[in-house]
Amino acid sequence: MDLSLTEEQEMIKSSTREFVAAEFTKDVLLTIDKNRLPCASDSWGKLLSTGLLSALIPSKYGGNGGSFTNASIIFEELGRAPVPGPHLSAYALSVNILLNMGNEEQKQKYLSKLNNGKSVIIPAISDQEYGWSEDQITCKAKKTVAGYSISTEKTFVLDGMSATEYIVAANLEDGTIGFFVIPKKIKGITTRALAGFAWHMSEVVIDQIEVSDDCLLQFSSWDKFAEAANLSSVLLSAYQVGGCQYVYELSVEYSRTRMQFGTPIGRFQRVQDYIINLVNSLDAARWTTNEALWKIDSGKDYGDSIHLAQSVASQAYLDCCTYAHEVHAGIGSLTEYGLTLHTTASRTLYHYLGSPRFHRQKLAVVLGLI
Amino acid sequence: MEFEITYSKKQEKFRTEVQAWLESNVPEGIEHPADSSDLTEEQYLKRRELGRKLGSKGWLWPSAPEKYGGGGLGVEHAIVLEEEMDKIGLSLPPYYDSGGRLGGNSILVWGTEEQKQYFLPQIFQGNVRTWQLLSEPEAGSDLANVKTTAVKDGDDYIINGQKVYVGSAFGAEYMWTITCTDPKGERHKNLGWFMIPGNSEGITINPMDLLSSAGESGAGSGIKNIVFFDNVRVPAKNLIGEENNGWQVATTHLELEHGTGGRIARNWIVDKIFEYCKTTDFNGSSISSDQFAKDKLLDIYIDAEVGRLFQLRNYWMRHTGASFSYEGPQASYFRKTSGLRIATNILEILGPSALTSDEKLSVESGHIEAHQRAAIIALHPGGTTDIQKVIMSRRIGIGRENKEKAGALK
Repeated sequence: MDLSLTEEQEMIKSSTREFVAAEFTKDVLLTIDKNRLPCASDSWGKLLSTGLLSALIPSKYGGNGGSFTNASIIFEELGRAPVPGPHLSAYALSVNILLNMGNEEQKQKYLSKLNNGKSVIIPAISDQEYGWSEDQITCKAKKTVAGYSISTEKTFVLDGMSATEYIVAANLEDGTIGFFVIPKKIKGITTRALAGFAWHMSEVVIDQIEVSDDCLLQFSSWDKFAEAANLSSVLLSAYQVGGCQYVYELSVEYSRTRMQFGTPIGRFQRVQDYIINLVNSLDAARWTTNEALWKIDSGKDYGDSIHLAQSVASQAYLDCCTYAHEVHAGIGSLTEYGLTLHTTASRTLYHYLGSPRFHRQKLAVVLGLI
Repeated sequence: MEFEITYSKKQEKFRTEVQAWLESNVPEGIEHPADSSDLTEEQYLKRRELGRKLGSKGWLWPSAPEKYGGGGLGVEHAIVLEEEMDKIGLSLPPYYDSGGRLGGNSILVWGTEEQKQYFLPQIFQGNVRTWQLLSEPEAGSDLANVKTTAVKDGDDYIINGQKVYVGSAFGAEYMWTITCTDPKGERHKNLGWFMIPGNSEGITINPMDLLSSAGESGAGSGIKNIVFFDNVRVPAKNLIGEENNGWQVATTHLELEHGTGGRIARNWIVDKIFEYCKTTDFNGSSISSDQFAKDKLLDIYIDAEVGRLFQLRNYWMRHTGASFSYEGPQASYFRKTSGLRIATNILEILGPSALTSDEKLSVESGHIEAHQRAAIIALHPGGTTDIQKVIMSRRIGIGRENKEKAGALK
């Protein structure tokens, strides 16, 4: 038993933390938050050039091809800021989809483009009825002479505005589900950013487009997608842990410096209670995530741990932000203070790759509660 | 990261040795009753006998220093012993004894060489079992407010006062306790920590009638008592860690009792309830197929898993000598609060059958009923949930720059 990080992993952690702190300052994050296009920032370009995002891309496609634990360390540090996507979408979910379903040629093509930043490949999975189950894929890909014809509206696509290509899920005529890599620029695709509290979400309307046969990932299947989503959800958990860690530190610091009634507010037990709930949620998310990572990297059955970690971590990030707001009161809602960046992220990510409710249902099946 | 204990060939060889030894040395009929107060004296004496046999092999307190009668074994052997005892439904030691884990550790940290040589081998060999005597009617959460006095008289101290929620059934050879050695002294600097022979004249033990007596110890204490000291004479050499330094001595065992030691055992009540709900029929299918029950079982599972991981983390930290901050009281707080949530969820799933020990209508031979009571009682020993939060706050440094340090351990 050894619950520590290796020396190499500690180095990845500290160098990523330094990079994120230097490049994704609060000002940068607030600017990105306003214009909603993270990829257009200089900081994103620098992040790409560090190669940190390629943590899951195997070296034969130009990436760093490390362990899930190594990748999780990077995602956790991105979550601290929080650096907005496209990372969980393009560099976790898309990479896992391509690795699971692409043939060699497709992997070579798309993974190297992701690796060098030429492409931003974003999964657009569920149709009008949002969700992460097979039933939510209602759109059909009709076989034509030249390839396939697809028409649908993909809703709540995370990082959709950043995309250069989409991975679109559609029912095939043989009753299976196919995953198509489709350039965003072709005629018939319109992407609309969703206004409001949603975080980098969009709707992608696909109006009777024609795509060639080779757009279909050769080994497409829903099971392989579910596997890719499960593996990616651990990195989402790690990202959420990073967010929890940051709002925890922010809240402890505020409890020491904010004076009311002539004393630091952290001297009040009601305030302490929020921070204790916060750290308990944080640690629950951290250790369930760590155990899932260890199971993946050591080749053990990980079904139970992935669903456990994701149902705990999504809930933890949402709760931790709420507790932090209770500690901070008024100032926490001030955009320039920075807490709301996390609050906003926590709400959207609550549902990404399946809500806690979704993962609990999956967990019930793994545990034989039938 | 590596969450699993990987067993070496050496460990597996040790496991075979332990299994064979237990097979021929564990007597029949000492199984843990659903309610620990049902343990008979005969069963208790058999367990003590087993404890002495384990002690003579260094297996009773395997990680305690060999120099003082412990096993001197590394964590890898200690784990095997704990696991093998757990498999046959026993804990290590196989009876309630807070001496080896808590009091003994305080003596190790704060005792003189002579005191260590005298007291520790008796504890670690299983020749004595000890009780902790901490709470008093006026000193619960505010333990430093103890009113039991210890007054120097020649080579002895004379002890007067009363202690509550003490021990178990069938007495103890030693009682370790915190007393006031200087009633006018500054708080936290006016206490003395004593090892008191259980057969001293002037000690009266009266059992308390409580909802449940299950406490911090895995062995189940059976019963809790009020202990009266009426001019009890104790040799000065039994004062550990000098006069007025008792609070320091106590921080060591309090730290461990607050959850810093960690545990690696499974939550057997959770295993039982899962098994029961999966295999018991309800309206034509299993209880666990019902959506409401399923949700409650998932809540139970998540609580149990998070609790297990906190304990595992602490266990690992303790055995690698990592420095603790808030992790001990956090694990304790979580165990207590999630324990009650788990019990309430079980009650919701099972209804009134969770509340009876009736032979015909109870679930899992009364274990579930006993757990319903124990989960409430378990909120308070070793520091209430609120005290755990107070300690966490100080350690984290909420509202303060200076973070309190964890108690000294060995």
